Amino acid sequence: MQHNLKFKLPDGHNEKQFFGKLAERYALIRKPAVTERFAICDTFDWRLFNKSLVLYASGNRLFLRKLAEDEILYSAEIPSFPVFMRDFPDSELRHQLAPIIKMRALLRLVDVQSRSVPYRILNPDGKTVARLAFEEFRPWRRKNKSALVTHLWLKPVKGYPKYSRMLARLFQEAGLKISKKEDVFFKSLEVVDKKPGDYSAKLNIKLDPHMCADQATKIILCFLLQVMRINEANIEKDLDTEFLHDFRVAIRRTRSALGQIKSVFPIKTTDRFKKDFALVGELSNELRDLDVYLLNEDKYKAMLPPILRNDIDPLFDHLRKKRSKALQKVIRGLKAKKYATLLKDWEAFLNKPQSDSVTASNAKLPVIDLARNRIYKKYRNVVKVGSQILENTEDEMLHVLRIHCKKLRYLMEFFSSLFPRKKINVLIVQLKKLQDNLGDFNDLCVQEEYLLKIIKELPATHRQLKTTLVAIGSLVGTLGRERQMVKDAFAKTFTDFSSPGNKELFQELFVSKAKEDVA
Amino acid sequence: MTTLAIYSNKGGVGKTAAAVNLSYLAAQTGAKTLICDLDPQSSATYYFRVKPKLKSGASGFIKGGKQFYRSIKGTDYANLDLLPADFSLRNLEVSFDNLKRSKKRLRKILKPFKAEYDFIFLDCPVTISILAENILNAVDYALVPLIPTTLSVRTYGQLLSFCHKNNYDAGKIYTFFSMVDRRKNMHREIIATVSKSYTGVLQSFIPYLALIEKMGIYRAPVAEFSPESVASRSYQNLWDKVQKNVLSQSKRH
Repeated sequence: MQHNLKFKLPDGHNEKQFFGKLAERYALIRKPAVTERFAICDTFDWRLFNKSLVLYASGNRLFLRKLAEDEILYSAEIPSFPVFMRDFPDSELRHQLAPIIKMRALLRLVDVQSRSVPYRILNPDGKTVARLAFEEFRPWRRKNKSALVTHLWLKPVKGYPKYSRMLARLFQEAGLKISKKEDVFFKSLEVVDKKPGDYSAKLNIKLDPHMCADQATKIILCFLLQVMRINEANIEKDLDTEFLHDFRVAIRRTRSALGQIKSVFPIKTTDRFKKDFALVGELSNELRDLDVYLLNEDKYKAMLPPILRNDIDPLFDHLRKKRSKALQKVIRGLKAKKYATLLKDWEAFLNKPQSDSVTASNAKLPVIDLARNRIYKKYRNVVKVGSQILENTEDEMLHVLRIHCKKLRYLMEFFSSLFPRKKINVLIVQLKKLQDNLGDFNDLCVQEEYLLKIIKELPATHRQLKTTLVAIGSLVGTLGRERQMVKDAFAKTFTDFSSPGNKELFQELFVSKAKEDVA
Repeated sequence: MTTLAIYSNKGGVGKTAAAVNLSYLAAQTGAKTLICDLDPQSSATYYFRVKPKLKSGASGFIKGGKQFYRSIKGTDYANLDLLPADFSLRNLEVSFDNLKRSKKRLRKILKPFKAEYDFIFLDCPVTISILAENILNAVDYALVPLIPTTLSVRTYGQLLSFCHKNNYDAGKIYTFFSMVDRRKNMHREIIATVSKSYTGVLQSFIPYLALIEKMGIYRAPVAEFSPESVASRSYQNLWDKVQKNVLSQSKRH
């Protein structure tokens, strides 16, 4: 069976002219044009594009295909445009998308109109022996705008291979090229000034090893400032929870960079910004906590015996009310003069040439030296604290170790471009496993405590209150058991991380040759 | 996958018109459909504007497999393919007779295509010999068009007793009325008698209409060139009855 062929029509190719010429050689019939509107969708951080997927809504259906391919992988009927995964009807499409999109909102990025005119080539018996389709895409509601892409499809009919071969040859002789890698996706997004993949929460910083440490640090901080700015503008719109999350991570990373990349800026400056950014972080602590509880609503319910599942609803209703208040608080904070001044001063500092200072003794060091030094010290720190915990597991110490790990992780990510990618990634993956264990333990502690505290806030007059309290009690019990399991898993997780193999790799990457010789 | 033969041991009863229109209606539901024109007169092939030519003729057909596959043509309609007839099919009876397991040959030929198609329709020539046995062995159901005349009913009786004698399951045989003229008393009476005396009689009546004969001029199924006509509606009704009373029921015994 021959395959459908897609030809690209050069700019300025006119449908009438083209088929007029073709009609001189073949008997042709033209069928009425079919016009369709479709909307290309993705998350703010391009999760689908990053997986080479294109999702679009047309009529009452959603379609998923691979980038630069035409075959539809999955499609599903939708009663209305779904924003979150929970709005999707249960379908194979949902199963495919859920692990990619997760908690992010789906955004309608651009609306495009496609117009397709089917033609049929007939033999002397009047039998269709090949199908053609003239297809063009335009920005929606902008008929006068020139077409973004124009295609000619050649669709062979089974049993008539000669005709399609002849036509394919004819088109190629006329200068038409078979279109393979091209996708209307890119041209459509260009219309609305969107660049696929232009935002990612991941750090993507290119540093030169011989750069001065202060200059390199400013590059890192400028990147983080940009992330803050991009997300801050969207927090108020409340499209999903991740704008706030990315904003907070950028702030935490900024604070960590100021604290951990030591003595590259005057101490007075570092102290002031560290303190001010800490305040901005605190401003949204409550909102983020509430977001996490609400995101986990289904997970919590699944932990309850079925008989209690609906009884926990008053708790989540209460949390939702609290969340809208917390959001208003954050919005007010971000609109306040204090925040504007902080960011203005911060930007001015990052753009200002560095002045010498006695307290910035590392400023002119090559960044690679400082990076090695700081990462290795932090690694030693983590191993030391972790080893103490192995002997005597105190909850408080697990918390301290978690913070150390976070600082180490940030340092490794800030400077990852200075080291062999594969090797540093191996270590980051190892560290991440340890962090996941510590993070889970911390989350479970905080959640238990929070639930016990929130009980006092629930309206006492509520009819369901007693059963709600039973449900919360059951939940606290489950969380406690899970916490113990996570804690029991710490010893093995930490021993894996501090293994001799990892130690060697840490030394290979982060202990400078000169130092090794001295030692 | 379901295989249906439009079969009769009497000529000129509207087999081809029924096969063409039913296969078209099946394909319109989205089901991948193949119609095989087994009649050397090649009328179904003509209706679909295809040349009556098989790769390597009847011998290629009997071999099956690749030769059979390469002869299949896409029709002008979505989901509907055609295996064209060939004049050499007139020797099919003799060719089958010369083979081992000669009565189950057609079943073997069609087997590889069951995965690719949801429906296979066979437009059969008039026969009650070894080809008929091949057909009865190959299909899930046989639909027999019946003109409400005494001679037609008599031939239908012959078919049923043939099945009985040769141990073929008469439960897969269904009949519907074809070329019906309701103004004729005799047609109405025979319809009533047949419906009472036989099982497997679909209450579907294809009228005797000039429009159905016009398929030869338009070279298309009636629903294509006259979708709102009585003829088009009666074939739709027949297809509905086939779906409801044949395809979704367990076999009669």
